[in-house]
Amino acid sequence: MIDLLADLGRGSIAVFQRLGRGHLFLLRVLASLGTLVVRPGLIIRQIWSTGVQSLVIIVISGTFVGMVLGLQGYNTLVTFGAEESLGLVVAKSLLRELGPVIAALLFAGRAGTALTAEIGFMKATDQLSAMEMMAVDPLKRIVAPRFVAAIVAMPLLAAIFTAVGVLGGYFCGVGLLGVDAGSFWSQMQTKVLLMEDVVNGVVVKGVVFGAVISWIAVFEGYDAVPTSEGVSAATTRTVVHSSLAILGLDFILTGLMFN
Amino acid sequence: MRGAGLASTRRFAYCAGPEQMPQHALNSTRASTPDPLVRIRDLHFRRGKRAIFDGIDLEIPRGRITAILGPSGTGKTTLLKLIGAQLAPAAGTVEFNGVNVHRLSTPALYTLRKHLGMLFQSGALLTDLTLFENVAFPLREHARLPEPMLRNLVLMKLEMVGLRGARDLYPRELSGGMARRAALARAIALDPMMIMYDEPFSGQDPISMGILVRLIKQLNDALGTTSVLVSHDVAETSTIADYVYVLSGAKIVGRGTPAELRESDSPTVRQFMGGLPDGPLPFHFPARPLLDDLLEKTP
Repeated sequence: MIDLLADLGRGSIAVFQRLGRGHLFLLRVLASLGTLVVRPGLIIRQIWSTGVQSLVIIVISGTFVGMVLGLQGYNTLVTFGAEESLGLVVAKSLLRELGPVIAALLFAGRAGTALTAEIGFMKATDQLSAMEMMAVDPLKRIVAPRFVAAIVAMPLLAAIFTAVGVLGGYFCGVGLLGVDAGSFWSQMQTKVLLMEDVVNGVVVKGVVFGAVISWIAVFEGYDAVPTSEGVSAATTRTVVHSSLAILGLDFILTGLMFN
Repeated sequence: MRGAGLASTRRFAYCAGPEQMPQHALNSTRASTPDPLVRIRDLHFRRGKRAIFDGIDLEIPRGRITAILGPSGTGKTTLLKLIGAQLAPAAGTVEFNGVNVHRLSTPALYTLRKHLGMLFQSGALLTDLTLFENVAFPLREHARLPEPMLRNLVLMKLEMVGLRGARDLYPRELSGGMARRAALARAIALDPMMIMYDEPFSGQDPISMGILVRLIKQLNDALGTTSVLVSHDVAETSTIADYVYVLSGAKIVGRGTPAELRESDSPTVRQFMGGLPDGPLPFHFPARPLLDDLLEKTP
């Protein structure tokens, strides 16, 4: 019994120590962002590898999610004779929830894990230590550009996911199921609001999810045990923690925005 | 070799600014002088409950090759990390050129590190960059040189280690010996005052080892740098080291020239220098008697 309590205590202390390390790490990363002002090229290169190279998975997934929404939405709406509202349903669902959330989950799996593995591998092979010995701060040179790039890329990817999803819904609803194209677009045009739907959904959620994913990803890489098992475990933690954080934060943000 | 002159001018440029390390610390001559470049006093360092260093004193003279020998796991790499202030000691001081490296602010420490080159055991080349870019990396980060001058400097460094022709290769395309030579070219890119070699000979074939031994000696003599060589390869290290420290059991158990150490009366030094299986250094990790383990019932 005592052993169980001791284990529980040790486990809890370890969790809080890690949380503390994560927050201190975030502060150090934020403090080192100044360098990027004079070297924006470092961010642009990372936006290429985290953002642009995630485009394929985002576009393909967005298309299918939009098509499924079109199918499911049509089947439900048609029973009430409201299939003209399909465009509105597809757009609102994607803008407010599915676009940012699914894009973030995909981004965590595609780019977040790559960030963790890359930084963890650099640590395991002494590349970060070598940089320190060359008087180059790895936080400024390696971590900060990746952190910022992910925050910039995430809302852009969420916007692309949403736009492609709407086109997927259009293809299914209008192209395959015969919904009137004019109704599809006009309902969307009149009922979708810039601040409430687009800014709240894609922009705010996109930025928040991007910040959380990149924080978790770079911290897990930097804090990884420098062995192959350590990097593997860190990569897994990035996906698990990012996914849970995205879903939890989505509920909180939705509650704050729409109630 | 001409790079040394260029970098000497740069060295003083780096030190400008009141927030940087004191001028006197870097302006002193590189030539061999009685005052050592690195002075370690009463150094204590622990990892968990295990003492890695228990009050060691050590001096690294300028312009010479100093070897730190010892069995694996005696903290030789840790000592290099303490000198480079990547780790902090529990007690004691490490002075580089008269400056306590663990008392420096982060900017001053980074300034000091520009004068230290380190060759990691793994090479630690940046895997996403070519050899050329790896050697150019410290120069691009710290010296705003025109591209043609930077190119010439990098090519000269690569020429010194015999890898000018491999400049467009990536680290994954190199053999272990080539990777270590490339890392050496990067370590000397800023013409440091001191180069620290962490196990430069381990895992090398005889030819690569011979090349590395010759290179270290040549670099030390030609550039006038101070070299610290951490190794457990007694034979190779003894051929080029001017002075040797032997570490064991968290203490320095022997010091002197290689010839003096070979004649040492200390049983630990004799066992290590001679590669003998029997002696004060145990072959077995501490454990209970074998019979107890064999008779224990397994679940």
